[in-house]
Amino acid sequence: MDTFAEVLLILGSALAMIGGIGVVRFGDLFSRMHAAAKAPTLALILVAIGAAIEIGTLLAATTLALVVMLQLLSSPVGAHALSRASRRQLTIPVDDVDELTRDERTDA
Amino acid sequence: MNAVALIMLSIGAAGFVYRLVRGPDLPDRVVGLDGLLSVIVIGIIVAAARSDNGSITIETVLVAVFVGFVGTAALARFIERRGS
Repeated sequence: MDTFAEVLLILGSALAMIGGIGVVRFGDLFSRMHAAAKAPTLALILVAIGAAIEIGTLLAATTLALVVMLQLLSSPVGAHALSRASRRQLTIPVDDVDELTRDERTDA
Repeated sequence: MNAVALIMLSIGAAGFVYRLVRGPDLPDRVVGLDGLLSVIVIGIIVAAARSDNGSITIETVLVAVFVGFVGTAALARFIERRGS
């Protein structure tokens, strides 16, 4: 059980490292947001399970469960708000036709 | 074994700090800041898993996650209102 928790801690840390590398290497904002929003969430879940096994008290387990639930609720909302705000400001040409801004900017 | 996890977290945090400093625009910096706080939260949990009174250290993580969400949402509203 101890090695299982250890594996979970290292796996979660590796996933956070992959997220950081993706944020450096990806080419535009939304690709970077893809790397920055999802990889740390799964990393947090894995690390929280590992730490709950490792610490082994009920208080730590419930607090970590609350942290994971709060992150699962808040991370998509924050990423959605940020991408929506920046999508309205930036002009990113895709194939000459920008499908996402067409109905908002020319029709409205 | 704990050092392996913390070294990997440091590499990830360096990536987010790079995007926070060099990001060409404000949304990129917000992405870097949000991810950096996530990595810090994961690091606190990893460190608490090894300490003796880990169940007390864990409580700080709850506040950090909430502050991170409020910061990201407020900056998103700011970008939407101000423009780029």
